[in-house]
Amino acid sequence: MASHDVRDMLNLPSEGAGHRPAKKQKTSAPRPNLKGLAREVQSLGGDNPIAIVPEISTFKKRRFGSRKPTARWEMRSFQNSARGDCSLHLRHWRKQTDGRRSRASSQPQQDGNTPGDVGMGTQSESEKLDDSGFAKFNVQVDVPQYSEDQYNSNLVSNDWTKHETDYLIELARTYDLRWPLIWDRYEYTPHLSASTADGEGVDVTDPNTAVVPAPHVRNLEDLKRRYYEVAAKMMAVQKPVQYMTQAEFALHEVMANFDPDSETRRKKFALNALSRSPDEAREEEHLLIEVRRIVARQEKLNQERRELYNRLDYPHTEQDISTFKSSAGLQTLLQNMMNIDKSKKRKSLMDANGMNTPASAHPSGGPPGSTPVSESRRESIAASIGGHRDSIGGGERPERPSKKGASQPERKKLSEQEEQIYGVAHYDRLPSGPTFRYERINKILTTKSHAQHQRITNTLTELDIPTRLNMPTRPVVEEMEKLLNAINILLDIRKINDKVDAEIKVEQAKKAERERASVAQAQAQTKSEDTDSSREDKKSDQTVTNGAGAAANDEVSGHPHERTNREGTSTNGATAEAMQIDGAGESSLVKQETGDDKAARPGSSGAHKRSASDLSSVSDNSAKRQKK
Amino acid sequence: MASQQPLPNSQPPMDVYGGDEVSALVLDAGYCHTRAGFAGEDVPKSVLPSFYGSLKSTNTDSTTASYRDIFGDECLIPRPDFEIKNYMSRSESVVEDWDAATKMWEHMLIKRLQPEKETPPSNNGLNDPAEDGEGNVAMDDVENQERPLAENPLLMTEAPWNSGKAREKAIEIVMENWGCPAFWMSRTPVCAAFAAGKASALVIDVGGANTSVTAIHDGLVLKRSIQKSPIGGLWLSSQIRTMWANSDPRVDIVPSYMVENKTPVDAGAPAQARLRKFPFEFTPSFRHYEEERLLTEFKESVVEVWRGPGRYSNPGNEELVKSQPGRVFEMPDGANQMWREQRYRIAEGMWDEAAALPTPDAEVKIQTIPELIKAALSNVDVDLRPNLLANVVVTGGTSLLNGFNDRLNNELMAMYPGMKIKLHAAGLTTERRFGAWIGGSILASLGTFHQMWISRKEYEENGAGIVEKRCK
Repeated sequence: MASHDVRDMLNLPSEGAGHRPAKKQKTSAPRPNLKGLAREVQSLGGDNPIAIVPEISTFKKRRFGSRKPTARWEMRSFQNSARGDCSLHLRHWRKQTDGRRSRASSQPQQDGNTPGDVGMGTQSESEKLDDSGFAKFNVQVDVPQYSEDQYNSNLVSNDWTKHETDYLIELARTYDLRWPLIWDRYEYTPHLSASTADGEGVDVTDPNTAVVPAPHVRNLEDLKRRYYEVAAKMMAVQKPVQYMTQAEFALHEVMANFDPDSETRRKKFALNALSRSPDEAREEEHLLIEVRRIVARQEKLNQERRELYNRLDYPHTEQDISTFKSSAGLQTLLQNMMNIDKSKKRKSLMDANGMNTPASAHPSGGPPGSTPVSESRRESIAASIGGHRDSIGGGERPERPSKKGASQPERKKLSEQEEQIYGVAHYDRLPSGPTFRYERINKILTTKSHAQHQRITNTLTELDIPTRLNMPTRPVVEEMEKLLNAINILLDIRKINDKVDAEIKVEQAKKAERERASVAQAQAQTKSEDTDSSREDKKSDQTVTNGAGAAANDEVSGHPHERTNREGTSTNGATAEAMQIDGAGESSLVKQETGDDKAARPGSSGAHKRSASDLSSVSDNSAKRQKK
Repeated sequence: MASQQPLPNSQPPMDVYGGDEVSALVLDAGYCHTRAGFAGEDVPKSVLPSFYGSLKSTNTDSTTASYRDIFGDECLIPRPDFEIKNYMSRSESVVEDWDAATKMWEHMLIKRLQPEKETPPSNNGLNDPAEDGEGNVAMDDVENQERPLAENPLLMTEAPWNSGKAREKAIEIVMENWGCPAFWMSRTPVCAAFAAGKASALVIDVGGANTSVTAIHDGLVLKRSIQKSPIGGLWLSSQIRTMWANSDPRVDIVPSYMVENKTPVDAGAPAQARLRKFPFEFTPSFRHYEEERLLTEFKESVVEVWRGPGRYSNPGNEELVKSQPGRVFEMPDGANQMWREQRYRIAEGMWDEAAALPTPDAEVKIQTIPELIKAALSNVDVDLRPNLLANVVVTGGTSLLNGFNDRLNNELMAMYPGMKIKLHAAGLTTERRFGAWIGGSILASLGTFHQMWISRKEYEENGAGIVEKRCK
């Protein structure tokens, strides 16, 4: 049951449950088959079967049943196409295949009666012969080839005759460019005149028979120099240098720049190194150990330094990475890091291990669901594994950003909804470098004068909104901007309102002065027509004040409606001018404010409160949206 | 179930096994032994001494004598008028007597390796009405001998200093006498390097008649590096003879065939044995051959190489050895003796020229093994030397002397202190003795080797000179 419990814990399918009953059945099944003593012994064991009880073995039957006819082998001739002549037909044992069986029956006869012509084989037979599988291992080196004319025009040398050059090239071909062997077997005997050795060339094998005119002793470097000279020149003749491929050109350069002197020097040095005394060797060993230790320490130091640099370079992943989740955030981060990288001159250190180049981090618009960090790791691993493996990333992985940091066009077009889900936004123009959103709010505030700034902050405090946003998400910032605009307008209007108020007061004061004067005059002129004319006067007075566009405040309270209406229209006109950009709700709000303006000034905060609650409800909504 | 499936045989698994056997034969001739066998096997099927017996039979008129050659060590028994000869040359380890060599090789390759051929019914004598079988038997032999090896390519080894003429002679014999379909000639050190699994190596071959040091690069001998010296098993035997002759109670060499019975005696006491009486005289060559067998036993069981460091003659070494237990050797006649410090002196001449005991043929300048190595390496390109020293292949029967490899390693370390030196010496006795043959066996059974064979057609077109062109 323990295994069952473990399986349960690990959420594995309980296959043991299926097996166990089957096993039990198995053990019980052979029991009735037993007879006699075996059954008695079996019964001693009870439920547990006893191992020593002989069972009916069926191996003999099985063995004969599974026997297959033995494989037939035949001695089969074959040839090796790597041989020049292809006349040698050797024979080896091969398993007979069905296709060949008919032919194999005829083969022994043929082989039996003429064992001698194994080497020859008839023509028809050789067509059918299979080739040795080892023929493909025969490879040959390419040695330069030249014609008589080419030699005369390009390869003439004071030191080397054409004949000796031919000999060298032939040796190089024979020994597959194994230079120690070429030098070892180099036994060139210059022939005396061209007439003596016409067809075959010099017989190299027995120099004792010929008159030897002091063979030119050549060392390995001489041979190499000549060969490389010939090879490089012929290469250039066959294909001009400017048309060569990269590899060919590299080969040509190596061969053309072969320096026998440095080789000789190197060999001399090697010889010295070989013939050191034991003491010298020991000392050198000590020095080598010392050097190795120093190098190891240096390496360790470098490693530590690199680690340190990497630590300094890396963005701290434990920070809140939500800012990098949107495309703009990534973009700005990338740009930031590019700038940092450019400003630093420690490129070499960064390049030392490609894993840590920050330039490879954070491509724009990463694939959905992957954090920037993991993305960067995958990117860098892919980059370090091998060059350009665009095929692996497919459409999912965006290209690494180019040097300028310009964002590559997105591979996959996001739908409207997806854009919203992933917070993708498009901008006409992005400011360079990263910015914080609340900076935008601050900018609005700081461009204003101190007094105005003060007033705005006052208003905001009245609305219970902090000047610095706690959660400057995009919608919140947008709403905040709207709010600040509205506050601006409000303040403007208030200013105008105050001005107008002041003017009204002045005019009223003037009017009161004049009235008092006229009343005193009238009292002094006519006391008789007191009651009649007083009404008329009042009317005319009223018209005067109306014409001035001002309204009486204290004494004249007879037509308050008319006056406020007029005032309202005039202020409305001003508001309309100021609020052309604003929405209708906003203007109505202001109207209301102006309507209440005079009657209940302190109460204006109530109106404001309403608008503030309006806004806060909006911002609440946005906050909720963000939470989602 | 997968294991029961037969391996797909249509294509041999190339990456695993490079062999492709074409029932080739391998023949490796040395001064002391000649080895022959089938390619692909790990030991030669037939190993015979290169010494053969030549039996003189005098005709009835006793004016002319004819000689009959007898091959095989089981035939080298005490007989009257029995000469022991060798078809190789002692100083060069190359074939000297081509007639005997042909017979010897035929004996080995045909009689010892091939099954008995059934005589055709027309010639087997059963169907003949008359008793005149003489002529027919002779005819039968001719027919059978005509193309006895027509189905077996033959790979032969040769000493690296073998002359061009000898090589041509060899291919002539192989192609004309035996009708082999293909032939190849390979140098012994190359084969020995192959047997050790190396394509490039410095091969130190300490054989019976000669010791040679050869540098091999990529399976080819570097001709300038070839060094040889007569310090081999036979030279050691002559050292033993000198030592025995000069020791205080002179040690007599009594080969076993002379002893009828013996009684055990104490160490150092004179032998008490009854010698066998023979009604005829023995030839000196037979006696020498038999003595050599006794000396071989002595070399195998007693002689030891001073392991170093330094030479045996350095002060203190001999005292040290004297304090160690020695080895007892009992002669066939029962005389026995404890050998302590003397047994180190015998082989010391291989390493230290001054320590060599004087031998009758002392006019030959004996080069020691360190000298040979030094000379061989100095004739090799500098760039190859480190690689060669890291792949030193030790082969040859005499290298089985006790302590040989330790001494060789010490000498090399002393000569080339800064280098990495690695000896490759086969652990098995047979592998060391038959190193060259085993390498030839490997080579001839390789699938990639098929393209190398000199085919019969090529021989017919180009003549015997082709061996010089092809077998570099």
